[in-house]
Amino acid sequence: MGRWEVMVGNKAIAYAAKLARVQFISAYPITPQTSVVEYLAEMVASGELDAEFVNVEGELTAQTAALGASAAGARAFTATSGPGLLYMHHPMHATSGGRFPVVMAVIHRSVKGMQPDHSDMMAQRDTGWIMLECENSQELLDTGIMAFKIAEDERVRLPTIFAGDGYILSYTAEPVEIPSQEDVDAFLPPYRSSYPLLPGLAEEARRVQMEQWGIGQDPQLRWRRQQEAMEAAKMVIMEVNEEFYKWFGRRYGNGLVEEYRCDDVEAFIVAMGTIASTARTAIDRLQAKGRRIGLVKLKSFRPFPSEEFRRLGAMVRAIGVIDRNISLGSGGITFQEIRSSLYDLEERPRILGFHAGLSGKEVRVGDIEMICEKTLRAAKGEGPPSLVEWI
Amino acid sequence: MSRPIPLHELGDKEYIDPANQACQGCGGAIVSRLVSKALGEGFVRAEVACCGPAFMNIRAPSIYVEVFEGAGALMTGISRGLKRIGREDVVVMGIIGDGGTVDIGFQGLSAAAERNENILWVCYDNEAYMNTGGQKSGATTLYAATTTTPIGEYSRGKLERRKNVPLLMAMQGAPYVATASVAFPEDLLGKLIHAKGIKGFRYIHVSSPCPTGWGYDPKDTIKVARGMVQSGLWPLYEVSDGILRLNYKPRELKPVREVLKMQGRFRHLNDEEIDRIQREVDTFWRRLVAKDGGEIF
Repeated sequence: MGRWEVMVGNKAIAYAAKLARVQFISAYPITPQTSVVEYLAEMVASGELDAEFVNVEGELTAQTAALGASAAGARAFTATSGPGLLYMHHPMHATSGGRFPVVMAVIHRSVKGMQPDHSDMMAQRDTGWIMLECENSQELLDTGIMAFKIAEDERVRLPTIFAGDGYILSYTAEPVEIPSQEDVDAFLPPYRSSYPLLPGLAEEARRVQMEQWGIGQDPQLRWRRQQEAMEAAKMVIMEVNEEFYKWFGRRYGNGLVEEYRCDDVEAFIVAMGTIASTARTAIDRLQAKGRRIGLVKLKSFRPFPSEEFRRLGAMVRAIGVIDRNISLGSGGITFQEIRSSLYDLEERPRILGFHAGLSGKEVRVGDIEMICEKTLRAAKGEGPPSLVEWI
Repeated sequence: MSRPIPLHELGDKEYIDPANQACQGCGGAIVSRLVSKALGEGFVRAEVACCGPAFMNIRAPSIYVEVFEGAGALMTGISRGLKRIGREDVVVMGIIGDGGTVDIGFQGLSAAAERNENILWVCYDNEAYMNTGGQKSGATTLYAATTTTPIGEYSRGKLERRKNVPLLMAMQGAPYVATASVAFPEDLLGKLIHAKGIKGFRYIHVSSPCPTGWGYDPKDTIKVARGMVQSGLWPLYEVSDGILRLNYKPRELKPVREVLKMQGRFRHLNDEEIDRIQREVDTFWRRLVAKDGGEIF
């Protein structure tokens, strides 16, 4: 049995790493991530957690050292925010390219300003990491534990981010159930690398190394293998989500997306992170007034659940997508990817895009109600077939 | 302190494949051969961007990551990870170029030394970014012509002195710091084997002449390397727990002119410039001799 404690999101993240019995932590401060590594430092100092705790001199080293520890066969963890994540960008490609199952917590901070949006993680979109988004502190703790199981699965072997909005989660206290160590140990066995960097494994290490370099083979092969691992990860994420439910009684939709009150609706909105929590209230209010609109929370940004959106898109007449990000010169990133996923449908729903919450701009329930009303109007065939708005 | 070890004492076994992609006369390939012979079976090798991937063909578990600046971090992680899986016996070693050591990798190097990570950092120093065609680095000697410090009406080559990273590492309190040269293999092997037995941060900086970048006949690599040491351009010394010892101490240094003139990169030097290099070498040598056998600070 677990126990309950009122804690901030950053402490929930630290508990996830502790319960996963991480063996290596690279730590570097950046607001609003800093207290994650402070909590872990205290856990190591008190003997609660037995791990290598390395105070590094920058995020680039934090990432590269975690990569090295993972290559040696240890379970490695690090955490960062915003500009720190940008500084890690370069070695993040090496971590995924080497297929090292490092797990990292990202506490979102905008790349423009201190407040949260998803621009920091979206700038890592193509680094080959699995990216799982969380909406509250309980989900951070649970997803953190699941992240190790997903990353280390032999079918996957990809580094994994679990993320939550800075400030809104990092420094806000709420009740969180901490699973017991015994249950987590049973759910998540110790990490045993199949390819530790060790003498005696020279030939195998060289083979893996050559594959990473793309030497002696189709140079594209390593890209293809990584993409295949990403595809395989969809199934693994769903399996792990179900297994977690069996052990701990909590799950997050099917692991990829979570439907909230989507039965018998004519439209739904899509949101990631804490905006999804606000959206639940908006949906409740509107459904109480008889509006037929639901919410789909996007949990797995990478791999992107295109199949799920095709399935869900076939059931409605309009979708409103909220993006706490923008690809400047192009548009909302999840809007575009969902829109692209719907292309193969015989009858496509209308799709609207909304930019909201960038650089921490507050997103109120009323804002989301307005987004819902616009989406419902589109479902009735009113207005243009597609639209992008700033909230 | 180390003791010179002749090559034949290490037996016939080679760990580097006879064929590799290094240039003819590559000093770095010699470093790789000697390092792998000295360390034998019990090491893993970390590699970042440099000429190193050209002579990566060492029969040892190796990891290469395209993170030029990340050698200190990579070795830190491997060393801590191996400790966690109960394999602290394995030596974590990197053969890192001068750019990845004194320039782009310096932050990670300095921090790894500060943390006294249990790693062996071997810098093979060819005094420029030779893998990309010979651009100036922080290790390039004063006045040397490189592709980014070319000789022209308004340029006399590199105008800055080289960074003295071995002494910086010694001043950070690393347990073992040494310089070495491919022309003195017994000295280098002795230092490697001595370093192998020490726990903590170990740093060996090896002068590795590059015929392609320095502009001399590939058969003369050892001759040039030896001339560098004999003239005091590259003194051989080691610092163990703060005590400095000169490993090569001739009664009189040879003039620098001779070895400079063997290299195309110094062909443009006039007497005044050679004199300045000579004065700086003499001063540094005098200070080193004064410290020989004593504390460096």
